[in-house]
This record gives sequence, C-alpha cells and structure tokens, in this order.
Amino acid sequence: MVGPIYIIALALGLAFFLGFFGKSLKTFSGFVMLAGLAGMTFISGQWLMAFVDGSATTQEIFTAGFKPPFSINLRMGIEEATFTFMINVIGLLGGIYLFNRLKEVGNSAMSVFIVLIMSLNVIVMTRDIFNLFVFVEIGSIATAGMIILDKTSKSLQAGLKYLLATGVISGLLLIGIIFAYYFAGSLNIDGIIAANLMASKAGAVAVFLIIAVLVLELKPFPANGWGLDVYESSNPGFGAIVSAGTATAGLFVLYKVLPMGGDAWYQYISIIGLITFVGSNLVGTQQKIANRLLGYSSIGQIGLVMTVIGLQPILGDAFAFIAFALLLNHFLAKAGLFWISGIIKKENITDWSALRKNSALLIMFVIFIFALIGFPPFPSFFGKYELIMSLISSDNIWVAVVILIGSFAEGIYMFRWLGHVLKNENSEEEVLDIPWNKFIPIVLVTVSLLAAGFYSVPFVAGANYFYFVPLAFILFLGLIDFLPAYIKNTVSIAGMGYYSWLLYPLVEGDLMRTIFFAIFMFGGILTLVVGYNKSGKREGFYPVALMMYAGLATIVTTDNMFGFFFGWELMTAGSYFLIIRGKRSKPHAYSYMLFSVAGAYLILLGFGLAHASGQTQALIALKDISVLPTLAYTLLAVGFMTKTASLGLHIWLPGAHGEAESDVSPMVSAVLLKAGVFGLMLLFLYMGEQTGDTLLFILGWVGAFTALVGNLAASFQEDAKRMLAYSSIGQLGYILFAIAMMTQLGWLAGFTYVINHFLFKAILFMVVGGIVVKAGTHNLYQMGGLIKKMPLSFLAVLIAMITMAGLPPLSGFAGKWLFYNAVILKGWYIQGVIVFFAGTIAFLYAFKLLHSIFLGQLKDNHRNLKEISPSILIPVYILIAGIFYFSAFPQDVLEPIGNMLANYFPSTLEWAADGNAVTILSNWNGNAVMIIIISMFVLVLGYLWLITGKTQKLEQFNIVYSAERPFRPETTHVSHNMFAGLNKAIGFLVAPGITNFWNNVSKMVLDFAGVVRRLYSGNGQVYAIHIIIYIVVFYLISIG
Amino acid sequence: MEYVIMTTGFALAIFGLYGLLSQKNLIKIIIGFSIFTTGINIVMVAIGYVRGGIAPILDNEGISQIAAQKSIVDPVPQALVLTSIVIGLGVTALMLAYVMKLYQDKKSLNINDYKNLKW
Repeated sequence: MVGPIYIIALALGLAFFLGFFGKSLKTFSGFVMLAGLAGMTFISGQWLMAFVDGSATTQEIFTAGFKPPFSINLRMGIEEATFTFMINVIGLLGGIYLFNRLKEVGNSAMSVFIVLIMSLNVIVMTRDIFNLFVFVEIGSIATAGMIILDKTSKSLQAGLKYLLATGVISGLLLIGIIFAYYFAGSLNIDGIIAANLMASKAGAVAVFLIIAVLVLELKPFPANGWGLDVYESSNPGFGAIVSAGTATAGLFVLYKVLPMGGDAWYQYISIIGLITFVGSNLVGTQQKIANRLLGYSSIGQIGLVMTVIGLQPILGDAFAFIAFALLLNHFLAKAGLFWISGIIKKENITDWSALRKNSALLIMFVIFIFALIGFPPFPSFFGKYELIMSLISSDNIWVAVVILIGSFAEGIYMFRWLGHVLKNENSEEEVLDIPWNKFIPIVLVTVSLLAAGFYSVPFVAGANYFYFVPLAFILFLGLIDFLPAYIKNTVSIAGMGYYSWLLYPLVEGDLMRTIFFAIFMFGGILTLVVGYNKSGKREGFYPVALMMYAGLATIVTTDNMFGFFFGWELMTAGSYFLIIRGKRSKPHAYSYMLFSVAGAYLILLGFGLAHASGQTQALIALKDISVLPTLAYTLLAVGFMTKTASLGLHIWLPGAHGEAESDVSPMVSAVLLKAGVFGLMLLFLYMGEQTGDTLLFILGWVGAFTALVGNLAASFQEDAKRMLAYSSIGQLGYILFAIAMMTQLGWLAGFTYVINHFLFKAILFMVVGGIVVKAGTHNLYQMGGLIKKMPLSFLAVLIAMITMAGLPPLSGFAGKWLFYNAVILKGWYIQGVIVFFAGTIAFLYAFKLLHSIFLGQLKDNHRNLKEISPSILIPVYILIAGIFYFSAFPQDVLEPIGNMLANYFPSTLEWAADGNAVTILSNWNGNAVMIIIISMFVLVLGYLWLITGKTQKLEQFNIVYSAERPFRPETTHVSHNMFAGLNKAIGFLVAPGITNFWNNVSKMVLDFAGVVRRLYSGNGQVYAIHIIIYIVVFYLISIG
Repeated sequence: MEYVIMTTGFALAIFGLYGLLSQKNLIKIIIGFSIFTTGINIVMVAIGYVRGGIAPILDNEGISQIAAQKSIVDPVPQALVLTSIVIGLGVTALMLAYVMKLYQDKKSLNINDYKNLKW
C-alpha cells in the first residue's frame, strides 16, 4: 500500500511542478492537477478500504524516525482514512467542477487549489499541535488565494476580511500552543492530553485558547461574519470546498483535541454548537441571496455536528453513527447545492426558477434540500432520529427541543427557496448552460447521498431495508417520466395494487388498520383512475403521488415508531409536491410544509419520550409513557392535529386543498387527512381515557369549535373548491370530537365519519374538480344550470351532499345517530350543542354548492359543456355504490368495528338479528330506513312526473331585468354573498384571527432575524472585534 | 529578564491588536497585525529561555548530555518562532497584495468603504 505521507509529497511536488509549465500548457496542467488529486484520493481510499475489511492497523508516521515529543507525527487510522478520503473526493470533484475556471486563471490557481486540499489532509492526519497550526495557516493562505478565483470587488473585500479574522485567530492559537507546550512539555496532542493541563489554571487557559480558536475556525455564531462573506462572494465551486472540505477537516480537528479539555469542555462545545445551529438558521430566514443563504445553512449544519461532538459522552455508542451521518449528509448536500448555484448563476433566490429548465438538476436540488432538512431516506433522517431518541433517553430533552427548533428554522428558508424554484415565473429566452464537468460531480454526490441513506439502515433500531422497496419503484417512475401520462398511470395503479397485495397480510386481523389501509390504498387507486383524463406527460406527478401513498402504507402497516415516522415524513414530502403543483399553490404549499414539519417534530419528541419510557421502538411504547406523560401525549396529539387541520392549526388547508389540481384535491382531502386521524386513534387507544382525561376534554372542545368554524367558513365561500376544503376542516372536527369522547359509540361514530368523509369528499372533489376545469372558473357565482349538461355529476353531488348533511337514508345519518347517542351518554351537552349547530350549517353550504352549480341559469359561456369525463365518473360511481352499501347494511361494517372497540370500551350498542342497532336511548335500522325512504322517493317522483305534464316550462330568457342589464351581473346571482344575514350575525367567528396570529408569529421571527443580522455590519474590523468579544465571553463563562 | 521579555511581548501583541481593531487605514491595520505577530513571537522566544543557559548545540567537545539538558535553552520554541515568522511574512504579504487590489478597485484605503457584503 502507498504510505499516507505520499499524499503530502504528491501534492507538494505537483504544486511546485505546475509552476514550471508555461501558459501554453494550461489544459495539460489542469489534467496533471486532476491526476494528482485522483492519486491523493486513491491513497486515502485504499487505506479506507483496508481499514474497512480489517486488513490494516492504525499507522503512526514519525519524522526522521524520532518519537514524539522530538518529532512530528501523523496518524492514519480508520477515522483519518475516512476523513482524508472525503476531503480528497471533494477536492477531486471540486477540481473537475472548477476545471475551466482554474485553467482560465492559470497554473498558479491550480497550485493553490492542490495545496489547499493537501493542507486539509495534514490537518486531519497530524497529531502535533504546532504542525496543526502550520497547516491551518497554509490552508488559510490558500483559502485567501482561492477566494479571489473570481476577482470581483466583493470577493476582494471578503478575502481581506477573511485574512484579518484568521490572522487574529491564529495569533491567539499560537499563544495557546506555546503555553500548552510550556506546561505539558510536548507538542504532541496525546502528550498534552496525558499531561492533563486542566489541573492548573494556567494550563486551562492554554487549553482554552487552543480549543476556542479551533471552534472559531468553524465560524461559530455570531463571530462569523467573515466566513459568511466568503461564502457569498467567492466562486460557488470554491464555496463547496469550504463548506464540505474545510469544515469537515475543522470538525475532525475539534474532535481530536477536545479530550485535552475533559468533560466540561464537551458541554461547552455542545452549547456553542446549539447556539450556532439555531442562531445561524434563524438569521438565515431573512436572507435572499442564494450563496449567502447557503453560507448560513453551512454554518448551521456545522454547528449541529459540533453539538453532536460535544454530546459524545452522552451519546455513547450511538455517537459515531449520528455524527458521521449528519456530517456526511451536510458534506454531500451542501457541495451539491453550491455546485448547482454555480450553474444557475442567479444571485437572488427569487430568480432561481431557471432551474426548472433542467429536470435532472431540479430533482437533485430537491434531494439536497430534503436531505438538509432531514427527510427520509437520507442519512440525516436516520441520524437525527437516533440523535433525538438518544437525547431524550439520557434526560436531555431540552437539547432535543433546541435542535428541532434550529432544524425548523432551516426549513423556513429552504422551503421558501424551493417554492421560488418550483413556482416563480420563468423567462423563455434564457438557456441553462450545463457543461458536463459541472454536472457529473453533482450527480455523484446525489448518488452517494442516496446510497448513504440506504447504508444507514443497520444503525437505527426499527429501520428496515424493506422501506426502500417503494422508493425503488418511485425511482423507476421517475426514470420513465418521459412516457405519456396514461401509461405511467397504469404502471402506478398496477404498482399500488401489487404493493397493497404484498402488504395486506401485515394488517390482516387488525380491523382498525384494515379500514385505514383500505382507505389509503383503495382510495389511492380510485384517485389515480381519475388521472386518466389528463393528457400530455404530467411530468413529475406520479413519483410524488406514489411517494405519498408509500408513506401512508408504511404508517398503517408498521409496528414501530421509527417506521411510523419514516412513513409520516415520506407522506409529507409526497403530499407537499402534489399540493404545490396547483397554479397558485406556492404560499399554501409553503404553509402546509411548515405546519407539517413542525407537527412531525412534535411527534418525534413524543416518540422520544415514549422510547425513553419503554426502551423500545415498538409502538406499544406509547402505552403507559412514564417520562413526562402529559407532555408526551399532548405533543403527539398536537403533532397529529397539524395533519387533521384542527382549529388553530388549520390555516394551511383551505388554500392547499382548494388550489390543488382536480385529482390531487381528493387525494389530499379524502385520503391524506385520514393519516392524522389514524395517528390520533392510535394515540388515544394507547393513551387510554384515564391518562388522557384533561387532554381529551380539551380536544373535545377543540373538535367542536373546529366543526363550527369549518362549516361556517365553508358556507361563506364563493369558491367551490375552497368551500369543500373548509368543509373538510369541519368534518375532521366532528371526528376529533367523536373519538375524544372515548366511548364505544363515540368511536363508532368516529369510524362512520371517517368512512363517510372518505367516500363523499372524494366524490365531491372529483366531480367539482372536473366541473371547475370544464367551466374554467372556481367561483360559484359564475356557474349555474349545469344540471342538464351534467346530470350524472348532479346526481353524484346530490348523493354526496345527502351523505354529508347526515340526512336519512344515507350513511351520514348513521353517523349522526351514533353521534347523538354518544353525546348524550357521555354528557358533553354544551359541546354537543355546538356540534349540532355546526351540523345545521352544513345544510347551508350543501345547498349552496348544489344550487349554484347545477340549478339556476346556465351561463352563456357554458352552453357547449358536456358531461365530465368517464374516468372521473367511474370512480365516483364506485364510491356511490360504497355509500349505498354502507347505508343499507351498516351492521356489516359497524358490527365488527363495535366488537373490536369492545376490547377497549364498555359496550353500549347491541345489534339485533334484523340489523336493528339498539342503544339504551333509541334504535335505528339502516336497512329499513333505506327501503322506506326509497319507496317514498319513488312514489313522490312518480306523482311529480305525472303532474308535470300540465305545467308550462319556463325558458331561460323569460326573465328580464326591467329592460336593463345590471351593472355587475354576478351580484344578482343567488350564491353571491349568500347567507349575508348569517355572516352579519355570527360571521365574526370566522374572522381571520388565527391566520393573523400565525402571520404575526412569522413576522416576529423574521423581524427578530432582521435585527440580529445587523451584527454583520460588513466592516472587517467589526468582525475581528466580534472574535475578540467571543473569546472574552467564552473565557469568562468557561474559566473566569 | 525572561519576564521582562515576555511582558514586552504581550504588551506589543496587545498594542498591535489594538491598532488592528481601531485604525481605519488599511495599511495601518496591517502594521497593527505585524506588531501583533511580532509580540507573539517574542513571547514564544521568552518561553524557551533558561536563565544562564547556553545555546542548544550539542558537540563532542562541549558539555555532557546530562548537563546539557539542564543548562541549554529550549530549542523547540526557537524552531517554532522561525516557522511562525515565515507564516507571518506570508500572511502580511498577502494582505498587502489584497490592499493593493482593493485600492485599485475603489481608490480608498479606508476600511469603512469596503462594506458591500453584509447581513
């Protein structure tokens, strides 16, 4: 094997040698440089391989054969091999990426570049503190050289600030080193550790200076203005090297020297890391300049890894995996993002929509963003999950909370950026120039990121390679994205069908899971069938739709918390992309994502507390949580309620569901919302009525008000799809209220509502979505009289509305009957009245929707409309068949559910042999009601048919407005400002108070960030003063 | 004696740092930096000093090795100082080159004129 010393020899030799080549040999020099970097990569790579397969042992290399303290020594162990390999890979890929630019600038730039990479190698390998200083300085000088690779006024300024800051920092380091030598008698890191300098005050100061300075090299918040300027102004290709390479080396050095300080220092480092992670991400929320934003994110992520290094004594065995997963994730994703930035060449993130011109680049961008926020299946997801679990198990819940806050802050700007990329206007003329040498490195880091996620599985309890099966299918769908939509639709349906068949045994025998599994999978397939009416390619639709369904399938089939969380996040990611496909969906998808991420973090904390109590990842840990049980159950409930859009957490829903594409609305409304319900039901069953007494009482009230406000807001809507969206909020309020009662009848009502809402909301959104597309408007007052054009649609909406309004004979009434019995038996009268009142309001909007679309006057521009496509009507009528079956034979479904519930709650409902449902209050027979009402309906209809022969038909233009045309014709439409009186009376209930509340919260956060970032005044001297203040404050806290 | 040297070194370093932080002229800032590093170098030399010690050169004609260990000044800080001086030279030269380029760009040596990057 080639000795590690040859990494240095090769790099130094080449850097020297390149100077001899003339200007005419630039291309040749470039290839020589790349060959050198490849050689360095090869040497560290072969050591890494040897360590991994166990054929090598840690090597110590001494200068001139002396042992320390009389010589400088380098070490090559598995850690050093890993880190030098990472650095050399980023050097090689970065060299390929910057090839043309380096060639333009000349051989000197290549020399500097190779020296920089070499210095990072030595920083990792050296065990001598002074040698470390020398190579940190060489690295700084090389960095200062590379900053002006693009020689602009800004990069010159940034370079000088960088030199001033690192000059001060290294002076302090030198003082620390010389005193450490004085007290320890050695420059060797192990020698200094052995000397235990912390025992004396003077020695402690020396250690302080060394560690504090090495922390400063990692740009801790807020003493990091000089680092941000470098990220912003230098060539993004070089930004990638700093963010990935330099930071990796710096973190390793910190890890290496930290034992000098002992336990107390681990704690300081974790606190500094936390402040940096949260502070940097928070201030980043105000940032609009792409490269500077990446700088904030880089500093934040490095802060997170720093925190983990500081937590090493707490994390124990899990430390190595967590630290490495988070570091590798940052390393790959951030390099990729900087490289993409170098291709896009847009300063402001609002101009980044140019990225859409290349779908491969766009997908990789999305992957990097999701990896940074910690979504599955990327290594950060596994690392973060394990980190939170370990922290809570070791009684450090506050650290976990702070980490999640920082991570959320990062989500604020990353998803805003993503929204700009996906939705902003895109100019046609511009062409994206993507040279292959810039493209290949990005592809390689993307592939590595995915592979790293896959190889994270064995390190996390509960993780399973099986979770990657649907992801592979999604990848396949992505690869066939060039095919027409109907082919991909068929493939998707087939894939989902097969996957459902494969997973069914996992839920078989568990009725609750079976019901939700059926809603998710069967509902998913039906909503996909609707997609057959879409022409063209529908680029990017199928992978994300299937991602959502894969997540839902995972949630409902898994038996452990990790799997649940994996599925939850997968479902969130998929649904986000579905929602943002709508034309005006940018702000709505953004708020959906922020609520979802926050909710997911609450769930994660709750899982952490459950895990800390039960020491198992199995979902059974949710039963009898002993560590902070009230907090744990509340966190979980609120987390799930972000998905069910309960009052206070609902503001994302109307826009997200209302603006979505016509077949996406039923997916996210009828199907997706049930994920939150499933979570709540699971939680309540494990929690039990006794433990959750107060919580359940509050949630009952929340459910009641959600129902009221949702329905009321729905009745005031002029937009057909938004009305349906608000109606979902109301319906989910019923469900929350029903299951919060924790009685058999309440839960039966809850299940009935779940099934009904799935059936009728899917029908309504499918039909209305189809009509909206045909009519070309969302507004109810621009429609009317469509009954003759679309009779089948009318019938479908009518049936769905009867179900929704809870009128006999359809199953909505079953829900209502169960519900009132449950309310009375439970004794929640006041809440019951509110819900009852909400129910009557549901009539209003049901009528408004039906009337405005189908009855009244046909509009001129709708004269040529035809019935909506059969690909919509077929799934709709399948669902209607479901409603009729459920209405006529409710006992077939409800009796087994009731029996299942009898395991948890005392039984209060009996089923007689003739299908009569009996409680102590009343009885009801779905079958008989259906027969009676249908017979009456037929009789009345027949009678009407007989007598209508005599009536005179009123044609549309029999009406005139007294020979005048009204100024604004739509104001004369019946559904325009319908229910104005009601609005006047209790409309204040739906005043946008909650929206304003959240707007103020976000404004406060952004304003705070705006104030804090004034620290970065732009003056290099001020940054140097920050460094001095940082050192002083840090000293006072740690030693003084 | 060594305390006088060390105190002088620290004083120089602090003066230099003060200059670096308070002067507005870029050239003066760099002079401050130079004084700062010089002060640190003096501190380093002072650390290795042994009262009444001799030069750390071992030859056959001189004193025995055991006596030498007690009486020679520590050679390590002296070696370090040489490296440190070289690095200081490199950094100072690079800073001056930067200042030259900045001056060509904006015709100003005032550090307050170079605040285009902020927040």
